[in-house]
Amino acid sequence: MSRRLLAVFLAAGVLSACGGDGGAGTLVLYTTVTQNTVDTVVAAFEADNPGVAVEVFRAPTGEVNARIAADLREGDIQADVLWLTDPLSMQQWEARGVLRVAAPDATAVPAEYRQDRFWGTRVLNLVVVRHRDGPAVASWDDLVSAAATGGVVLPDPAFAGSAFAAVAYFAIADDYGFAYLEALHAAGAAVVAAPGDVITAVAEGQYAAGITLDVPAADAVADGSPIEIVWPSPGAIAIYSPIAVTSAAGAATDFVSFVLGIEGQTAIASTGWQPVHPGVPWEVGGPQVTLDWEQAFDRQQELLDAFRAIFGG
Amino acid sequence: MRSEPYSAADRLLPGSATALPLGLAVVALVLIPLVDLIRTTITTTGGSVLDALDGEAIANSLWTAAVAATLATAIGVATARIMTRRGSRAWHVMVLLPLLVPPFVSALAWSRAFGRGGLMDDLVGWTLPGLIGPVGIVVVLAVHAAPLVYLVVGSALRTRARPELEWAARASGADAGQALRRVTLPLLAPAIAGGGLLAFVVSLNSFGIPAVLGVPAGFPTITTRIFGDLARSADPAAFHRVLLLSTVLMALVLVAVAVATATMRRVAGGASSASREPLPVVGGGRPPILMSGYLVATTVLPLAALVLTGLTRAAGLDPWPANWTLANFAEAWQGDAWGAVVRTVVLAATAATVATVLGLLLALARRGGTGIGLAVAAAFAVPGSALAVAVLLAYGPWLRDTVVIILIAYLAKFWALAHRAIAGSCGVVDRDSIRAARASGATGAVTLRRVVLPMLRPALAAAWVLVFLFGLHELTMSSLLYGPGTATLAVVTLEVQQLGDVTVTAALAVLLTVPGIGAAVMMGRQRGTT
Repeated sequence: MSRRLLAVFLAAGVLSACGGDGGAGTLVLYTTVTQNTVDTVVAAFEADNPGVAVEVFRAPTGEVNARIAADLREGDIQADVLWLTDPLSMQQWEARGVLRVAAPDATAVPAEYRQDRFWGTRVLNLVVVRHRDGPAVASWDDLVSAAATGGVVLPDPAFAGSAFAAVAYFAIADDYGFAYLEALHAAGAAVVAAPGDVITAVAEGQYAAGITLDVPAADAVADGSPIEIVWPSPGAIAIYSPIAVTSAAGAATDFVSFVLGIEGQTAIASTGWQPVHPGVPWEVGGPQVTLDWEQAFDRQQELLDAFRAIFGG
Repeated sequence: MRSEPYSAADRLLPGSATALPLGLAVVALVLIPLVDLIRTTITTTGGSVLDALDGEAIANSLWTAAVAATLATAIGVATARIMTRRGSRAWHVMVLLPLLVPPFVSALAWSRAFGRGGLMDDLVGWTLPGLIGPVGIVVVLAVHAAPLVYLVVGSALRTRARPELEWAARASGADAGQALRRVTLPLLAPAIAGGGLLAFVVSLNSFGIPAVLGVPAGFPTITTRIFGDLARSADPAAFHRVLLLSTVLMALVLVAVAVATATMRRVAGGASSASREPLPVVGGGRPPILMSGYLVATTVLPLAALVLTGLTRAAGLDPWPANWTLANFAEAWQGDAWGAVVRTVVLAATAATVATVLGLLLALARRGGTGIGLAVAAAFAVPGSALAVAVLLAYGPWLRDTVVIILIAYLAKFWALAHRAIAGSCGVVDRDSIRAARASGATGAVTLRRVVLPMLRPALAAAWVLVFLFGLHELTMSSLLYGPGTATLAVVTLEVQQLGDVTVTAALAVLLTVPGIGAAVMMGRQRGTT
């Protein structure tokens, strides 16, 4: 194997000090969760478990997917724990058999925020952001009239799993259906990639309102962006950020138990995200609605195709 | 009086001293990856080739690159004409400024200056129509490639187009336009074609610019499709598309280069050595107001808009001092950014050092090095996206997720840059000094160390700095090759950009760009004073 020799030669001779794998007590975490939330939770876990070091690969959903895909091409996933932003992204790995059966201490996680092999760690709320100078918005239905007067912008369900949740909720819910999405499009609603792009576009006055996630929107408000968060009736669309075990390492289950336990949940709450654990005090911003994830998983491609048929692209 | 330039006849090192490392390097860095890419593409895609071929992305890549190259050639030739008459060293650096900004930072900067919600929108309510989309891609690609055309055509103008001929034409009654058309342009044709080809290849290979300006508009190019499909490559069909597009892109570029080189050789009658002459310093004079306006609009204003965005507290606020903060720069350091900076600098410096050594070896081993030289030049022309996929295929099983695999890709790509910078200056090594040294009993190695290397020192330094800068700014390959703990600063910036946080993205982009510009300005000043 001359190529292996070359590779080893290059690796050893050129940059042996850089890169590097962890030792025996290393846990590899692939995640899409916000940097400071991951940092806070990992620091708390490492303080509790001095023998274990957590190596974090944090990237947007697309890059994490690319990483796992490359892992699978060459064998098995290299991560011990997978912690993502939305259930849909997790479901695709469940369908590919990447997730392992595990028994972390998940007693506190409510039924609507869990599946057999993954558990919700925090709740993300899809809300409306509106520009202070734009028309008033009080309900999801008001977005249609806002789109006609000042423009409305949605995140792309093909790019962001959270955006897919919103589309799936509207498509499945009896009160909305595809007719609602068609009305939005007919009124001139536009699509950008990420929920963060929605906040930027509304703050800069390109659109009067948009659909995005509550926490980054609250951060922008706190920084002084000229936007307001509206908790539209009948409620914000609540989705959960799931975690799963992807290796046989015992520390992986320990880590998941920690994140779902009171200590991990407190750490998550301290970074601004709504915890799933009822024992951690949290004031929810308003009423919440949840969607039928089983149905959303089953109809994923159909819903995405329908969305694309309405909005183009 | 010039002495005869250094040539392979004065072989200083035993053949094996250069041949062995060169051979090993070219096999490991170029041949194995590229052959692996082609082999894997053929074996895995098999009969489904036509189904997987993405005509839209290929067509988009081709026409945007062609239009951008045409524009860049016009701008580059005009700049070269102006600068040879009344350019100064300071202006020379100014004209080259777009090269010192990473392409995707340029695209970000343009969208902050001329996009919706950007600086011009705030100031006068004006936005560039179609900036997010093919128009923006073409314009920013052209602005980026124009300095390359300027470099090629400028040096040809100084060394080849003889002003006497132009004066003679004018004295014989030709007006300025006729003199330009009948005399200057025909003399410059090979250089213009070469510069235009370079602009085309660079534009076709660009990933950062279409990633920022094309993807949000649903305008795919080959390079952005490769990036996107790799993210979906758990699906075998997506991975096949990645392989196929990489191979197609590589083939397109290599064919374009081969055809153009053959055509130019026929036109130029094989003479092209003049473009190797270093640029002389031209004294005095100020370029016309039009050029200042161009530079301000295409480079200064976008960069200023980017800096202002990075300083502004939150999206949607006016970018004035009342809303300024350093919080975005502080937030930019969250997570792995420090590690990324250290990694980026170490990677770029290592790549620069190794590439300079390899470039020197190749420049010294002239005769034996022609085949290797061709392979190295081809690797430079191969788009970063394709090269990265090739390196991933070849070395992924053992080196994936290490900085070494990124380094391999950098070396494969930048070896030619270092080689060109050094080979172009071999003319300064004069034979008599070498003969004198050898006659005085110095061995080849001693002569190399004491005589040749000191004379080449400016070229070696230039090669090092060039590769270092390209390494600092590299995004196309590192965004496909990085793993846990091996992200570079450019990759971190791209990730933040994808999440849509415009102020922190701007802060990171500024941090990525300022050191390069600072270094270049300092070097320009140093050269100006000596």
